[in-house]
Amino acid sequence: MAERQLTQILTQLQTSASSLSYTDSSALLSKAKLLLLQLNALTPTAPGSASNPSLFSLARQVYEQGALASIRAKNPDAFLRYVSQLQGFYELESTVGTGAAGGRIAGADANREEKNKVTGLYLLLLLTQGQYAEFHSELEALSTRLGGATRELEADRYLGYPIKLERWLMEGSYDRVWKAMKKGEVPCEEYGVFSEILTFQIRSEIASSSERAYPSLPISSTKSLLFLESEGEVVEFARSRGWVLKDGHIYFPSAEPTTEEAGAEQEKPFSRLIIENTLGYARELETIV
Amino acid sequence: MTDKDTKKSGKQGEDEMTVVVPPPKNKQNSAQPPNDADGDIAMEDDTKAGEVEAQVDPVAQTISDIKSNFALLDRAVALFDPRFSLRALRSISSIRKRLTPDILAQVVSETFSASSPNTQVAEHLLLAVDRPNVTLGSSSDMEIDSGSKSPAKNGGKKDPKEVIPEIDIFLGILAQVHLYDTKQFQRGFALSRFLSERIQSLNRRTLDSLSAKVYFYFSLFAEQLAPLPPSPQSPIVSIRPILLAALRTAVLRKDIDTQASVIVLLLRNYLLTSHISQADLLVQHTQFPENAANNQVARFLYYLGRVRAIQLRYTEAHEHLTAATRKAPSSACALGFSQTATKLLLVVELLMGDIPDRAIFRQLTMEATLHPYFLLVRAVRVGNLEDFETTIAQHADTFRRDGTYSLILRLRQNVIKTGIRMMSLSYSRISLRDICIRLHLGSEESAEYIVAKAIRDGVIEATLDRERGFMKSKEVGDVYATSEPAEAFHDRIRACLALHDESVKAMRFPMNQHRLELKNAQEARERERDLAKEIQEGDLDEDDLGGDFEGI
Repeated sequence: MAERQLTQILTQLQTSASSLSYTDSSALLSKAKLLLLQLNALTPTAPGSASNPSLFSLARQVYEQGALASIRAKNPDAFLRYVSQLQGFYELESTVGTGAAGGRIAGADANREEKNKVTGLYLLLLLTQGQYAEFHSELEALSTRLGGATRELEADRYLGYPIKLERWLMEGSYDRVWKAMKKGEVPCEEYGVFSEILTFQIRSEIASSSERAYPSLPISSTKSLLFLESEGEVVEFARSRGWVLKDGHIYFPSAEPTTEEAGAEQEKPFSRLIIENTLGYARELETIV
Repeated sequence: MTDKDTKKSGKQGEDEMTVVVPPPKNKQNSAQPPNDADGDIAMEDDTKAGEVEAQVDPVAQTISDIKSNFALLDRAVALFDPRFSLRALRSISSIRKRLTPDILAQVVSETFSASSPNTQVAEHLLLAVDRPNVTLGSSSDMEIDSGSKSPAKNGGKKDPKEVIPEIDIFLGILAQVHLYDTKQFQRGFALSRFLSERIQSLNRRTLDSLSAKVYFYFSLFAEQLAPLPPSPQSPIVSIRPILLAALRTAVLRKDIDTQASVIVLLLRNYLLTSHISQADLLVQHTQFPENAANNQVARFLYYLGRVRAIQLRYTEAHEHLTAATRKAPSSACALGFSQTATKLLLVVELLMGDIPDRAIFRQLTMEATLHPYFLLVRAVRVGNLEDFETTIAQHADTFRRDGTYSLILRLRQNVIKTGIRMMSLSYSRISLRDICIRLHLGSEESAEYIVAKAIRDGVIEATLDRERGFMKSKEVGDVYATSEPAEAFHDRIRACLALHDESVKAMRFPMNQHRLELKNAQEARERERDLAKEIQEGDLDEDDLGGDFEGI
């Protein structure tokens, strides 16, 4: 009874995913979660125990829909919550997969797509939040779970995307990141949510490297450099970063004097440092001899 | 690998020996014509027979070796000195090659009497070595037999006393070692589980170093069982609670040996299933005992370095891994460890932007295994992206096996950076198009962004000209005009001093030696006082003497 109701809610969530507002979907989700609680399937239980596999996958799907819905609503906290709830399901899932084998393979494939989608989103979230350590830990875990098949990982539509983005960001090929975010390269609409954040991120990256790399820049080419729409936006952006505009060129406030000052300041303690070090050696030698 | 093979072949040889030898023992114990009894086989092996006779029956030898360790364990308990149990543990490596189920069964049956309270242990041990129907309480003729061959050692010792738990755990470890060598993992796993439970129930400080060993083999067995590690349902996941419980107890009891080895095992366990964040949390919430055994420290540092490398904390990783490679025992038996640690260290060094010393690759023991890494280093050093990609493609399997693959993939940006640096050093002005072609980058725009980022990150000193599309390098300053050499010098001196301090700390000073010195000093002082008194008393004489001299 409750199970059928759950399936209904789930299909409703899946089919009309994009049209539902966040409040609607979250209402549906909480209803689904209540049902799960009644069925005692809110948390993953070890396979082979009383819980049947269909319930297991139902619960997982509910969480997946929840994760996707919260991404659409740009609610990273809720998303993270769903992801950590899903983690347990994914860990156990491989056990179920090997245990039941045979007929469930087709189902497992469909499962994997959703799973990769959510995991990919998680990676992307970590990337945009600048949590590189977590990003790489997760990546390592993923590749081990696939038996070290990193190529496979990159070939996957959903997982490969954040991996490539990370590599390009690290390298500095921002134009590729830019291209990946436009032109329908994004694997699915949920990923598009991050594009805005990423655009902002790479723009400030480019700006900070430009400050150091160029003595001056013509406004016209800055537009394409920063992936901005019009020259007006360039001017606005330049103001926000405190750049000087003169004769159609952008001049960056030089950072030179500040560093020189810092250098001069460092000069004094430096000789002191040497004296301190030498005294330290002398003391140590004293104790040894 | 080869080490294991030889061990195995050695074992087989031993098996044959035992097959040949037992009959004479059962027939007659005069030990005179053992091999002649087998006549038909032994005819032409006169020399061999002589040899066997000379070096005593290997079975009896092994048994007496094992038993001699009991004495050590007894002393360890009596004197409360862990050094004796360590010595017993150290002898395992020499015994392990000669172990057979029969030997173990015999020792067990002779050690435990049927009436003693811990027959349960004995039964488990016998079950584990597949000799369940050997009767306990030592079949007497066997005892006399072995007694006659090594009369001094075990004559009167075992009958009066209870068997101390240390001895049965020690026998348990021997059984574990044997099962591991003969690849009976399932059985070994069961035995280890039993042993670990028993250790938990006993609360004896003298067991510490032994229990560390038990847990070590426990997790080794778990690793070898059916669904092998990377899969999440491998038995290693199921032993985590046991290990964590063991860790908790060990910490509470200040049991340093177990603490150290269990922390290391847990780390290894987490890393095998790539639970990096868990491993990180474990490190954060535990404190690795400071005065743990050197080998455990080395292992701990290696795993820690691995975790840090994955988390992109290269400086820390580098520090830990350098320490790990330095602490690794230099003997041949630990070669595998130092190779693995060196591999990881090399990758981390590359990731930090350093180029490892060429001498590392020239060491005789390392040369072959490090070859792929050598190629890698060469590609990175020159900044040749093409070479780099081909090296990765060619040796992907090796890198995957070493678990460095994902780290190596991160090197791509370093290769590019080195490439840019080389170019900025060699050209005072170079067009972005040329950079793009040389480094095989996708497009000029990419090249521009990459160079700009390199400038910001301080990789090169240069400026870009957007309108004319080139990179102009600044003059490179003299390194020796900066504080860099002084810093390097300071680092090295600090390392030397730290080394000195550590070696002083590592020295062992005999107990109460200072009292002896005090006594000596006391004596010396007394002698001095006497001397002084004499001088005082003989003051006059001396003056007289002086006077005499003057007189002359």
